[in-house]
Amino acid sequence: MRYSRRFWSRWQNWLAAILVLSFTFVALAAPFLSPNDPKKPGPLKVVGRSTETEPQPPSENAPLGTLPHQLSVYHALVWGTRDAMRFGLLVAFSTACIGVLFGAVAGYAGGAVNRTMMRVTDAFLTFPIIAGVVLLQQLWLNAVYTNGGAITNLYGGSGPKAVSDSAIQVLLQHVDPLTISLILLSWMPYARLVNTLVIELKKTEFIIAAHALGATPERILFRHLLPNAITPAIVLVARDVGSFVILQATFTFIGLTGNSPWGFVLAAGRDWVIGPGGTIMTYWWTFLPATLLVILFGITWNLLGDGLSEVLDPHRD
Amino acid sequence: MPPFLQFLLRRFIAIPISLLIITMLLYAGVMLTPPETRAAIYLPAPNAHQTEADIARLTELTIKKYHLRDPYLLQYGYWLKSLLQGTWGYSPTINENVLPALLRRTPATAELTLYSVLFFIPLGLVSGVLAGWRQRRGFDNTFRFMAFVATSFPPFILALTFLSFFYVNLHWFAPGRIAQEFSFQISDPAFRSITGLYTFDTLLNGRFDIFVDALRHLAMPVFTLSIYHWATLGRITRSIIITERHKEYLVAAQARGLTDQRVIWRHAFFNTLAPSFTSVALSAASLVTGVFVVEIIYRIYGVSDVIVRAMQGSPDAPAALGFCLYSIVMVLFVMFVLDILQAIFDPRIREDLFNS
Repeated sequence: MRYSRRFWSRWQNWLAAILVLSFTFVALAAPFLSPNDPKKPGPLKVVGRSTETEPQPPSENAPLGTLPHQLSVYHALVWGTRDAMRFGLLVAFSTACIGVLFGAVAGYAGGAVNRTMMRVTDAFLTFPIIAGVVLLQQLWLNAVYTNGGAITNLYGGSGPKAVSDSAIQVLLQHVDPLTISLILLSWMPYARLVNTLVIELKKTEFIIAAHALGATPERILFRHLLPNAITPAIVLVARDVGSFVILQATFTFIGLTGNSPWGFVLAAGRDWVIGPGGTIMTYWWTFLPATLLVILFGITWNLLGDGLSEVLDPHRD
Repeated sequence: MPPFLQFLLRRFIAIPISLLIITMLLYAGVMLTPPETRAAIYLPAPNAHQTEADIARLTELTIKKYHLRDPYLLQYGYWLKSLLQGTWGYSPTINENVLPALLRRTPATAELTLYSVLFFIPLGLVSGVLAGWRQRRGFDNTFRFMAFVATSFPPFILALTFLSFFYVNLHWFAPGRIAQEFSFQISDPAFRSITGLYTFDTLLNGRFDIFVDALRHLAMPVFTLSIYHWATLGRITRSIIITERHKEYLVAAQARGLTDQRVIWRHAFFNTLAPSFTSVALSAASLVTGVFVVEIIYRIYGVSDVIVRAMQGSPDAPAALGFCLYSIVMVLFVMFVLDILQAIFDPRIREDLFNS
């Protein structure tokens, strides 16, 4: 309770909580806020004639205007929020689980096992995410082709999609190379953090006492070591949700891979930042709402991370 | 052997070990593909007279030659051997052998990385130390706010904003590496290309106008890339100096009547370097990812150009694998350089190395 009173005593944390709740609300209520086109569900909805390339200003059908080819900005942002929350939470929790387990097991085993496992962790630290994305994308393409599938480009911007009906193709459709490479290449900070904590905790008296009482290794690890070593990892999770979503949007924006609707909107609106005639605000709806939303998302999770870190880990700040 | 050389050697040997682990993991991933695909990693440039049957026979020969149907370790050994011999394969999408293609594009990437690192490391260290020394005062509050903004602002949006203001509206800076009219002069044989880095070459050739133009093109990418890493480094340095500030040696220095400036910069500063540099080294991989992303957004045709072209459509395993390896080598190199710098600047390590 001491924690919660300290947490709620700062207005920044109230702001963070409200923002997280509103993003969650939009994500959950997306079907009500902006109903899908029944014929073509998905974050990209066409309102009007899809051959029309000039973005149209806000109207009743598209409250935030349209992109080229008459894709509704509002619809993409709302469903993009759903996508972002799902992606961010999924990747952040998966990396945290892998990293925490890896670091804790290595620290508990100690000795040569610990050294080898942490050497592997260090080796993973030299692997840039962009390289992992490129490699996995190639492996994925290969898997799609060798299993008799084909690739289509959805509106030319939001990454290739596998099309075919066989079970393995359907599975491949739902596997996103970016998600996997982010999970595979981001768990190392958690492992290092938990590892040092577990090694320190192992020497404390209550763990020695648990040993003396005959507790099994699993019990010591999961009941005694992990709960005491996990708090700094929570702070990292909060910050990572934001940064993973931003990374996803970045990769979609530069056209490498990833299916972030936000990144797609920004990439599509990019050429309209400077409208015909060189004025910057003529087509504001193509880039401004998406930009502000992505920035707000980053700020939200950073605020939450900072707030949690001050409460859970007061010595470091 | 002098201790410093021993240290250098020890650190240098760590690089192949890391590479060995990571390439084994990489090849384990490649093993998921059928042998015919793996053969593509070794195939040379096709020539126009080859028929389908020729290519099929060549593929089969390659599979035999590199033991592509044999157990993992054996295949891995052959792959490693061909890598060391410089056979990184031929990329069909860029119509070039992968290794020369990567090497030729390196100077642009190296220039961007070099200036960013030179920009954000000193700035991050100094601002972190100053902020942490007087915690919760004016400068600290400004710093924490700016660091917060810098870490939550997506870099690609920052880049977009810069482009629309400083390039389109104000014409101060520009994307790309150099202005069109100068790019012809630089490719002219009369212009001696020594390092490949435009800012160095132009100075060596005495062309200040091109030098200024190269800087004009570097400003936006360097700033975009630095700002996030500046904030993270500054935050870490700040928290280190906060714990360091109450240590006895600093209290003693102050009790002896040394000025604040001298206590900070002569005594406290060098002791924050080791943990700060370690944190930069740990984020070297994200720095390299950032370099490539910034290159793509600002249309600097560096190493990332290879994958931008290779990722457009059909599978191109040699380019992807080559790029992967190359970026890992880049990360290891950055880490190595940081290690050396740390040894030179950190008094605790330096004393050990130079005076024993």
